[in-house]
Amino acid sequence: MTEPAMMKGIPGTRDEGRKRLVLIVEDDFVNREILKANLEAEYEILCAGAGDVALKMIVEHSETLSLVLLDLNLPGMKGLDLLREIKKDMDLSRIPVIVLTSDTESEVDSLLSGASDFIPKPYPRQEIVLARIRRSIELSENRDLIRWTERDHLTGLYNREYFYRYVDQYDTWHPDEGTDAVVLDVSRFHVINERFGKAYGDEILRRIGAELYAIVHEKGGIACRREADTFQVYCPHMTDYASLAERVTAAACQEAAGRVRIRIGVCTCADKASDTERRFDRAKSAADSIRNSYTESVAIYNDDLRRKEMHAGRLMDDFQNALAQKQFIVYYQPKYRVQSPEPVLGGAEALVRWKHPELGMVSPGDFIPLFERTGLIRELDNYVWREAGAQIRRWKDQFGISIPVSVNVSRIDMLDPELTETLCGVVKENGLEFSDLHLEITESAYTEDSERIIQVVSGLRKLGFRIEMDDFGSGYSSLNMIIKLPFDLLKLDMGFIRYAFSPEGDTGILAIMMQIARYLSVPMIAEGVETEEQMLKLKELGCDIVQGYYFSRPVPAEEFEKFIKTGGNEAC
Amino acid sequence: MLTVNALRAWGANVDEALVRCLNNENFYVMLVGKAIKDPQFEKLKEACEAGDLEQGFEAAHSLKGMMANLALTPILQPVEKITELLRARTETDYAPLVEEILEQRRRLAEQL
Repeated sequence: MTEPAMMKGIPGTRDEGRKRLVLIVEDDFVNREILKANLEAEYEILCAGAGDVALKMIVEHSETLSLVLLDLNLPGMKGLDLLREIKKDMDLSRIPVIVLTSDTESEVDSLLSGASDFIPKPYPRQEIVLARIRRSIELSENRDLIRWTERDHLTGLYNREYFYRYVDQYDTWHPDEGTDAVVLDVSRFHVINERFGKAYGDEILRRIGAELYAIVHEKGGIACRREADTFQVYCPHMTDYASLAERVTAAACQEAAGRVRIRIGVCTCADKASDTERRFDRAKSAADSIRNSYTESVAIYNDDLRRKEMHAGRLMDDFQNALAQKQFIVYYQPKYRVQSPEPVLGGAEALVRWKHPELGMVSPGDFIPLFERTGLIRELDNYVWREAGAQIRRWKDQFGISIPVSVNVSRIDMLDPELTETLCGVVKENGLEFSDLHLEITESAYTEDSERIIQVVSGLRKLGFRIEMDDFGSGYSSLNMIIKLPFDLLKLDMGFIRYAFSPEGDTGILAIMMQIARYLSVPMIAEGVETEEQMLKLKELGCDIVQGYYFSRPVPAEEFEKFIKTGGNEAC
Repeated sequence: MLTVNALRAWGANVDEALVRCLNNENFYVMLVGKAIKDPQFEKLKEACEAGDLEQGFEAAHSLKGMMANLALTPILQPVEKITELLRARTETDYAPLVEEILEQRRRLAEQL
């Protein structure tokens, strides 16, 4: 709802003194004229003689209409049907409706369908009619003012703070009802905003809001916009959330199926003794657990997720100690140049491992995504850069050669204003060349805040750092965009290797990727190469550098030295 | 010409209706003139003759509201009776009640 509609005619606002607009929906001339005569000194009057005409007028004047007086016995669309149409629409439902009826039976139906009040026929005297109308409008305007503070202004749903209060209220009055805490997220919403603009993104959010409003109107419950592209619903227990996901997805984007993907996390039959926000945090965890799945749209919070959360919490708690005690160990995986008759060591990738005193070796798959989400990755990356810098120095001193080491630079590092200074510090403190340190930046990082990232990366490249575009082919860059990005090497996404050498795959796609690298005049690195067959094929296709278990798994620095001693050296 | 006095003599509760019409006699008389020409009278007759109780109810219900607001008691009373019978979809001979309604309407129309 927009501000002008909310503030219309409220005493003390800019509209003071203007007549409020009232719509009389009545097909009988006599009744209509009597009512009009009774009201026109105080109100601006619109009249409609049929339900469908009235609905059009209500939609047209939804921003300014203060009240609808509705006869139930209309030709065509009946009064009660019109009332239900008004009440199920989020924008129209704010307009109070007073029903005009000569039947006491209809009064109950009307009130249950959302009427604010009723005026009997024959009409009572003018003072009574006016008093009832004034009271309904006043109540509605007061409610509008409250709504303005408790609603999210884009979607019209509750905002998060008020939502939790209404959930508590709901529980108070439905203590024995099984209820679900539901979180809905739009997958990769930032990409929609980026591709189609913020106005279109907002429109998608509005549509989702309207559909959720309709759903809780039908099934009971409460809905809110939690933040950005995340919504919450508290409702009686349901079993079929896949249909709900489909319904909201369809409503969000009718013009291009598949453009919007909704994922739902549910904390079912929420334990009412537990804190309200926690129930929704659990539902959010469930929704996040399928963030990267393109086949699942619903996740239910369960013991497995709970264990994972507890584990994640433990890792977060232990992080600072682990840094201080150097529990993080940098491993090195060799990269070989393969276009020479014999493979030649070209460098290494630094990969962090966590040797936890109680949990043993913690898988990077457990902690890297977690630290990326929580921002701790910045401290960890800094640690790895320092460790790798020192190791390059040691190898220089020990063997008299430079082994370039590539390190990961996460998305969040790009936002660090001290990034360049920190990386330069690593180079200077260890007396390295800038080209000794390769920076791996994932392709999708470029698409998120392209201009800023391009500026930062270009600056680093000018200094002499070598830039590897990691996971090439998995992001959303157009070829047109790739040409403009600053990088020195392309690192093929592992998915291509897996696909190309799977039973149903073929290596044609690899050939195309190699052609792109050649066109851009940059070397191509293939990682995740496990067999001789894969290595030879990549070599044949013109791949320059290969990394993977075929040559070696990532190993501690001391173990890596054997590759330096035996593998020749030609820095890549 | 229809007058307030003639309406009173016919049986309308003029005082009650005038309160609703803001004591504007001309307005009241104008509305009565419109009401007695309302097509719902014919619809009621046709529906009852055809045994279409649903349409009959719609017409009777509509007339009831109008007659009540104008306090045209001699028509209102049989209209209220027929409305309730039709609401319950009672299988009965509606002709006498319809005739009474139309007769009162004719008597009123003679005042015009």
